[in-house]
Amino acid sequence: MPPDISVRQLVKHYVVPERAGGLRASFRSVLRRKHRLVRAVDGISFEVERGEVVGFLGPNGAGKTTALKVLSGLLHPTDGQVDVLGYTPWDRRAEYLSRITLIMGQRQQLFWDLPAADSFLVNKAVFGIDDAVYKRTVDLLTELLDLGDLLTKPVRQLSLGERMKVELAAGLLHTPRVLFLDEPTIGLDVTMQQRIREFVTAYNAETGATVLLTSHYMADVKALARRVIVIDQGKLLYDGALAGLVQRYAPHKTITVHLERSVDLPDLNGQAEVLSVEGLQVTVRAGKDDAPEVTGRLLTQLPIADLSVEDPPLEEVIDQVFRGDGP
Amino acid sequence: MILRRTTLAGALALTRAEIADMFQYRVVLFLYSLWEVVHPIVYLAVWGAIAGEGDVGGLRLSDFAAYYLTFMLVSHVTAAIEIYTFGPMIQQGELSPHLLRPMNPVWVAAARNISYKSVSMLLLIPVWIGLVIILRPTFSITAGSALLFVVALVVAALLSFLVGTTFALLAFWTTRSFSFWEIWIGLTFLLGGQIAPVELLPGFVQNLATALPMRYTLGFPIEVLLNRLDAGELALGFVLQFAWLIAAALIVRTVWRAGIRQYSAVGA
Ligand SMILES: Nc1ncnc2c1ncn2[C@@H]1O[C@H](COP(=O)(O)OP(=O)(O)O)[C@@H](O)[C@H]1O
Ligand SMILES: [Mg+2]
Repeated sequence: MPPDISVRQLVKHYVVPERAGGLRASFRSVLRRKHRLVRAVDGISFEVERGEVVGFLGPNGAGKTTALKVLSGLLHPTDGQVDVLGYTPWDRRAEYLSRITLIMGQRQQLFWDLPAADSFLVNKAVFGIDDAVYKRTVDLLTELLDLGDLLTKPVRQLSLGERMKVELAAGLLHTPRVLFLDEPTIGLDVTMQQRIREFVTAYNAETGATVLLTSHYMADVKALARRVIVIDQGKLLYDGALAGLVQRYAPHKTITVHLERSVDLPDLNGQAEVLSVEGLQVTVRAGKDDAPEVTGRLLTQLPIADLSVEDPPLEEVIDQVFRGDGP
Repeated sequence: MILRRTTLAGALALTRAEIADMFQYRVVLFLYSLWEVVHPIVYLAVWGAIAGEGDVGGLRLSDFAAYYLTFMLVSHVTAAIEIYTFGPMIQQGELSPHLLRPMNPVWVAAARNISYKSVSMLLLIPVWIGLVIILRPTFSITAGSALLFVVALVVAALLSFLVGTTFALLAFWTTRSFSFWEIWIGLTFLLGGQIAPVELLPGFVQNLATALPMRYTLGFPIEVLLNRLDAGELALGFVLQFAWLIAAALIVRTVWRAGIRQYSAVGA
């Protein structure tokens, strides 16, 4: 089976007029307008198999939204090839649009003053969903998203989180096979983020849909995606298992020892830094390459009851990746 | 614009939702409708004052009353509001959700047009009937003219919608599409049968009005209904009206495609 999503050497550059400060500069810019090239996406390639959930990571301005817009057909790329379900997205064929969805945190596709149910009926007609399928889908979404009576209240009366749930449902009525989710949990409180995450997992399990999602909440990515694609400044930095990302980019390890009795700590030779001493529990941090040696020294020189070596939290790793001082 | 089965159903569902939505804006609707009532009354008052007990170019006060009362309905049915409804949608990047549905967003503009008109028509009709009772116009309508009127009115509404859409689409390139729209509004005011029935315009200007599209969005259906045209003028009028309709449809399609190309290049 060919992959659902196949991206080859995708490039999207924006040409933006340079806005100069000052009267003289702006006068000059009227005469000869200067342009600046923004390399939002600068040659990335990847594939996503049917049913995969892939996290698309990167700092603000990395090019995530731009890439998703190209994949969903809103943007025409500057260069490169994209194939999603056998279609070229920016042809925006009706059959293609019926098989995908793009859901953005701040997107507003619902009628503000009407109950969402009214907007749903519009989508039902536009996508040509027949009655039985429509009913089944709404029931499923109502259950998975716990929509309750949210569909019958005017959208403007819903909280941000409730609105997001309803927007998600609206974007999924036509049971798309590929979901592009751009920051689906942005601005939501922790509980609601959790709910949305659980929903995406359940939806993926239930329908086998392929999901490509961006988020800058690490919790989202940890909970949802086994595979991540990291981009920065339009370039692909990493594509692989979430665990591998930590392996590769974790700058250091955290070593925690439980002592049998209180003793002085040995000289760590500047290879490790003591993070905390709490009773008999000592935590030190060592560079990745130094970790084995430090561990060995601790084991031989201290009366140790228990020792564990851990990778730092994902947040720290990602931070490291984006600061560009990884390997 | 290919017509798919779901497109019509979609447009219909959209219109239904838009109508429901429209009722939220009763005050705005009321004010617009008030304007639609007031401005033809002003032209009528002016022409009535000029005509007095006599006539202007063969038109008596009661003829002007018939003309401008018909105008009131026709200008309402053919009003182009796309510069207010569709233009801002493009400008504010609200087009994207619509582009992700398998239906051309121009249908969204159409649905909004139809819903606006059907709702505000409810306000206009009672006022209109009241004015007919007060002003006692002489409508010289025949069965034939009424039938042709319906055709001319529908084509005028379509043409006007396409023109409005074309100007709204300029928002893909410029933030000043309103300025261009003002030009169209000005020309319609002068040449479309608004400030004066086209038959009262001086010869050269009248020829211009006959050739240009403005009259076919407004004055022409009125002239048809009130039997102001002879057979030759009628035939020429319909030919030109249909020709402008086809031209406008082609223009909208071309501008839309170019606009979408622009939109998907600079960033939706
Ligand atoms: N429509 C646009 N026109 C010009 N530049 C844009 C446009 N959209 C995004 N950019 C720029 O492209 C880069 C990538 O943006 P974006 O794709 O939104 O990143 P992300 O979603 O990862 O935060 C940023 O530098 C952003 O300022
Ligand atoms: Mg983004």
